[in-house]
Amino acid sequence: MIEIRDLTKRFGDFTAVDHLDLTIETGEFFGLLGPNGAGKTTTISMMSTVLLPSEGEVRIDGQVLDRKASEQKSKLSVITQEYSMRQDMTIDEVMEYQRRLYRLPRDKAREKCDELLEFAGLSEYRKRTVRHLSGGMKRKVMICRALLTEPEILLLDEPTAGMDALSRRQMWNLLRQVNGRNMTIVLTTHYIEEAQALCDRVALINRGALQKLDTPQALIDELGAYAVDETGDAGLKSRFFHDRDEAIAYLSSAGHQASFRATTLEDVFVECAGRKIS
Amino acid sequence: MGIITVLWEKWVEFRRDFYKITVSTMISPLMYLMIFGLGIQTTSHGEPYLHFLIPGIVAMSTMTGSFGATAQNMSVQRIYEKALDQVMVSPTPLWQFIIGQVIGGSLRGLYAGCVILLLTSPIRTDLIFNGLSLLIMFLNGMVFSSIALVLSFFAKTYSDAPRYTSFIITPMSFLCNTFFSTEQMPAGFRQVISLLPLSQASNMIRAIANAERPGFIGFVILGLYLLVFGIIAVVFIYKKKNL
Repeated sequence: MIEIRDLTKRFGDFTAVDHLDLTIETGEFFGLLGPNGAGKTTTISMMSTVLLPSEGEVRIDGQVLDRKASEQKSKLSVITQEYSMRQDMTIDEVMEYQRRLYRLPRDKAREKCDELLEFAGLSEYRKRTVRHLSGGMKRKVMICRALLTEPEILLLDEPTAGMDALSRRQMWNLLRQVNGRNMTIVLTTHYIEEAQALCDRVALINRGALQKLDTPQALIDELGAYAVDETGDAGLKSRFFHDRDEAIAYLSSAGHQASFRATTLEDVFVECAGRKIS
Repeated sequence: MGIITVLWEKWVEFRRDFYKITVSTMISPLMYLMIFGLGIQTTSHGEPYLHFLIPGIVAMSTMTGSFGATAQNMSVQRIYEKALDQVMVSPTPLWQFIIGQVIGGSLRGLYAGCVILLLTSPIRTDLIFNGLSLLIMFLNGMVFSSIALVLSFFAKTYSDAPRYTSFIITPMSFLCNTFFSTEQMPAGFRQVISLLPLSQASNMIRAIANAERPGFIGFVILGLYLLVFGIIAVVFIYKKKNL
């Protein structure tokens, strides 16, 4: 279990994360959503000790996580938003470096590495230096590297950014598989449909503060499960309804430039954040 | 274990860039040796100037080799590649990472010094370089690796590493007993320069080269530098809020 208590991060006068409180259960697939600059990456960075909080703490299984906490850190793997790896190493060397940093047995790690690279379609590129890989391939290497350690907790900061649609779907399947093995996953993403498809619960944060926290479906139901989009002089405007008949009645009265659809998590997000992000 | 991991990473880098590292290690010292030692042929204390210069160049090479390798590597990893994040997140104790960096950087300095010794070996000088010389070169390299580590934690941009070289390494190269003895400097300034690590390393390597006993105080001063900067580096990596 991950407990985030009163987590705050300030950079000078700017507060990136503002007294955030969250509890993430073991085995949960948890989404952290927010517009650009909301504090998602800063939160993930504090959850991985890359940044230290100005106030508050992160606990893993009851133990405070800090840079000395090797036992807690051995449970963690992180996929950062940036390609955080040695650009002049080959894929094989990146994986070997990870094995050594996590002190994994050589034979077991080699087998796991072969399996992951095969799954990601990277086997034939393993002698290629990271610098010479495409953005999507670098992302896949980072995912393989993170999964090599078979972590109990996986922190994913925009893991599918830069991936094509097919690769993204493959990655979703992989994440579902590993989550099925009781791995706790914390995901930040700009792809709201990704969070809706994968996450058990999502937290919407804006300006570093928690706005909403619930299951995607509960958040949608709270807003209204039915939406009517109207295109007018002011652009596209959506209205939300709890009752289907009420929505259809409104649609009938709205004229031909209106359409009916199911509410999505993105609607919840836009209403909450006040701006569209994807 | 973490120390071995960092040394493995350094070895991968060294193996890949072997020719580039070796050639870049040789150029400046060779120029100094050719210009000041062979071109402008002069004497110092009744001896050929080359006898004075070679130990100084060896000490200087260990400094530039260690400092350059560590400052460059850490700045790139921390600021540009963000590869340091991978280490920060891992369970490898960070003090082991620091020791690995210091030893790894020092080995690069030692390599640079040994290349110079190899290049100057055909010149008949009767200078002595033994195991103790290598130990001093290694210690000097560790001192400058630890300084480079601390400075690289302060670096805000990728271009800060070359700036540190301009502000710290270049003045030391010229002032600290490499090309002329600190004894010729004005009082006050002389004492300050004598306390700098390169002055001590040059002094000791030169003493051994001339079949004299190196002063024990040099080891103490280098050890103190290593201890202070090593501790600062460890404290930084554990406590600095925004690495």
